[in-house]
Amino acid sequence: MEELNHGKILVVDDSDLERELLIEVLKGAGVQNAFLQAKTGEEAIEILGTHFKEVGLILLDWQMPKMSGMEFMEAVVKVPQVASKAIIMVTASGTDENKKKAWAVNPNLVGYVVKPYTPESLLDVIYPFVQLKSSD
Amino acid sequence: MFFLGKKNKELDKFADLLEQGTVALFKERGDLRFSSDPVKSKRRIIEFEGKMRADGMEKFDNEPTYVSAVNFYASERDMEKKKTLGALVVYVEQSYIAKMMKLLKYPPIDDESDAAMQDSCGTLCNIISGRFKSEISSAGYIELEMSHFMNYRNSAFAGVDFCFNEFDMCEISFNLDNVKRLVIDMTMGAVPKLR
Repeated sequence: MEELNHGKILVVDDSDLERELLIEVLKGAGVQNAFLQAKTGEEAIEILGTHFKEVGLILLDWQMPKMSGMEFMEAVVKVPQVASKAIIMVTASGTDENKKKAWAVNPNLVGYVVKPYTPESLLDVIYPFVQLKSSD
Repeated sequence: MFFLGKKNKELDKFADLLEQGTVALFKERGDLRFSSDPVKSKRRIIEFEGKMRADGMEKFDNEPTYVSAVNFYASERDMEKKKTLGALVVYVEQSYIAKMMKLLKYPPIDDESDAAMQDSCGTLCNIISGRFKSEISSAGYIELEMSHFMNYRNSAFAGVDFCFNEFDMCEISFNLDNVKRLVIDMTMGAVPKLR
């Protein structure tokens, strides 16, 4: 996983407030990584096109206009280099069926967090992929 | 022959699931308790050019209101075909949306920005809808697909998609500090049970 945990975190969510909350929670927990933001799967693909090497982790919402989180994953798994990027779903759709579907689309998915989440539950999943202040 | 599909005879049950999910969500997200039991009422859907009317101002005595809607579908295929099974519409008065999001422990929003307040209402609609979807699934029904949220100010001018077999919707009002602060309209077609 080379320098994976130093990479930028790409937050993909159509809600400005959810993106802001996620970043605030992670910064509050001591996450040192820089952040990139996208409002749709399409925007996320554009950002990956220009910042591919910098992105270490993608936090991905499911329900978004134009291109949903699931459509984004369907697109990226077809590209081997991108398919290896760590993706964690952060979504309001939290049933077991949804989780199964997400892993079926992307077997490399590294986590699934259901909104509303606690900072602890988010950090539990995200911890291996980020640089924390205390671990400097 | 004009054919009508199967009508949902369990709207009251779905309203209960929505109520319990919303109450639990507010407790978990902001440690918030509604100041009285939510008030449920069944209403006729007002249809206009094939869409359900969703007027926010009439929910809050003609005060400016933010409105957000999410649609539900029985499958991905139905979602692609826009064959709507259900709709959930969230209404919050403009003067209260920033406070409500603060109570729910979201970062402060600019209460002079229309875009920020629309986004807040959509965010709220998204988490309520996600929770409702989970409650439906836990109650033994099939897994529904859910759309992204759509936001409006005062009213959904073009209306909201709904299931044409349905004539009724359920309105649920939630009070905080003894004042009506959140209203949800919900309509749902017949959702198949898991076998």
